[in-house]
Amino acid sequence: MGAFFPLFSPGVLSHLSRLEVEARSRKSRPQQRSRVKELKAKVEALRLQRDRLKAEIETHKSLQKLRVSMDKQSAHEEEEEEEDEEEMDEDSENSQLLRLMARHTQLKDLLHAHHIIGGYNVIKTRQGKGVCVSLATAYDGVFLDTYNLEIDVKPTLRISRHNVPPFIPLNSLVEQSNMQTDIRSFLDTLSQHLNAFAGRKQQLKLVKELHKAVEVMESNVLCSILVMMFTVPGEKTAVLCTLDYTDHTRCLPTRVHFESEDKELPDSPEWKKNCSLLMETPVHKALIIMKKMGNIV
Amino acid sequence: MEEMSEENIEEVRVLEAQIERLQAEVSALQCQQQENHKDITFNLRGQMQNAMSYVCGQRQGGGKEKVLSKLKEEVEELEEDLKRQTQMNGISLNSCTKKTLQSGGSKLVQKFLLSGHCSELVFQVEFQLSEVKEGQGSERTISDLNVVMDAGDLQNFSGFLSGVEENRDLLLFFRTLRTFTDRCDDRCRTYQHFQEKYPSVVSLPGGCRSEVMNLNHPELPGCVLMVHWSVEVSREGRVTPKVDLLTKIPERALQLFPSQPVGGAAEAFQSLLRILGPEAAVESIIRAVGL
Repeated sequence: MGAFFPLFSPGVLSHLSRLEVEARSRKSRPQQRSRVKELKAKVEALRLQRDRLKAEIETHKSLQKLRVSMDKQSAHEEEEEEEDEEEMDEDSENSQLLRLMARHTQLKDLLHAHHIIGGYNVIKTRQGKGVCVSLATAYDGVFLDTYNLEIDVKPTLRISRHNVPPFIPLNSLVEQSNMQTDIRSFLDTLSQHLNAFAGRKQQLKLVKELHKAVEVMESNVLCSILVMMFTVPGEKTAVLCTLDYTDHTRCLPTRVHFESEDKELPDSPEWKKNCSLLMETPVHKALIIMKKMGNIV
Repeated sequence: MEEMSEENIEEVRVLEAQIERLQAEVSALQCQQQENHKDITFNLRGQMQNAMSYVCGQRQGGGKEKVLSKLKEEVEELEEDLKRQTQMNGISLNSCTKKTLQSGGSKLVQKFLLSGHCSELVFQVEFQLSEVKEGQGSERTISDLNVVMDAGDLQNFSGFLSGVEENRDLLLFFRTLRTFTDRCDDRCRTYQHFQEKYPSVVSLPGGCRSEVMNLNHPELPGCVLMVHWSVEVSREGRVTPKVDLLTKIPERALQLFPSQPVGGAAEAFQSLLRILGPEAAVESIIRAVGL
């Protein structure tokens, strides 16, 4: 969200430029009266704009000052609940309004922060009979898909609509958790599944983008299995690599398996090392290292 | 064709000079305003827009009371909303400061500094958020993630934290922090419960939030059983409670009663744990000690 509206209305500017164009077009046939009139109007409009800007900048300054003291205050809220607003001159006629405005910006920022840190963005629907929540996913700092659930609250919690992919076992997650009493731990588990899925999917995408020499032979929608074909430089031996992600809440594999026409290869110390590398490092990053070490093309 | 009068020419000149001066002034002010906006952003819509207009002297319609009450209503709704998000997320944010580092074109880069707490754990998180508009949506990326937490209870957290910072995994950090504190709260509740139920046996030398609970028989001051209950966090953010039973029994007592089953207590406790779960296993030990 967050549209950053300029404080001046664009109407004033476009009006001014219209005046300017009109003024220019009339230069050719000098009608002095109206020319003076126009200029006076323009002066007036500019004065208004200037005064408005000045007032806005002043307001902005006092709001910022208020915000800083509010932030300080809320950071220490736990220790002392005292209200000290000495900063603000009480006699200023707009102080109450300014304080509300400052609180408004503070609340907006806090809500925005909740959104970014993966908050569930709960929204009440149908006069409190239901809620909507959203689950964000991200991998390596990049925000990916967001999923939404619509949950009936009464008489019992029940998911009425959602856009969670069908291969995520939503129903069994509901059954396994105490959704009725602890909706958050259910959402945490679901978020874990969705983020792990998003991470595996993103890794697969990066493998395809970054490693053209590696052939992806097979993968599934849940991205829980990945079969790739590597080529060993020099002898051009082909190695078939299978990654199994049996724990669907993780984006690292639980099993790595190599197969090659060179029967010795999977048991060589080098490839044993590759095996543990792939177990511990996201596949697209592991492949970079393996390439650097000269194990694959 | 009209003759141009001397006065008029003069007047036009004066006005044009005035306009030029004002335009310069306005653009300087606009620059200043833009600069100011980097430190605090406004969502100037609805009631905020009206309030701003009112404060800046454009007092059309309604008067102060109306502007004030309308804004108050909106602020109360936001307070309500914040309360709801805080409750749902289990994370309390005390302050959020944003600073715009880059804006214009299709890219917006903001630096965030958040402070807050999750149960008893206090955190400060700093990061940059870049938003790049792409067609309909926008790509949002986190970078330069830095997490500061009270070092006290966090030996088991440090590996996880460095992984989070490295992978810029803001979502994982907060999800794990929440699970971690939930498990710590479980332990605290359990410890408190036992202390109330068995005050003569149970003591909590480090307070109810610490990992250790001591059990000793009132008539055997030298013999202590310690329940050590830690909450482990793996680098990937997996949270697992780990409960151990340690014994502290004077050498002499062991020499005098070598056959006492105390030596094997730690292993025996692990099988109890597997069968009964932590609460019931600890309770059965307390009962055994208290008898």
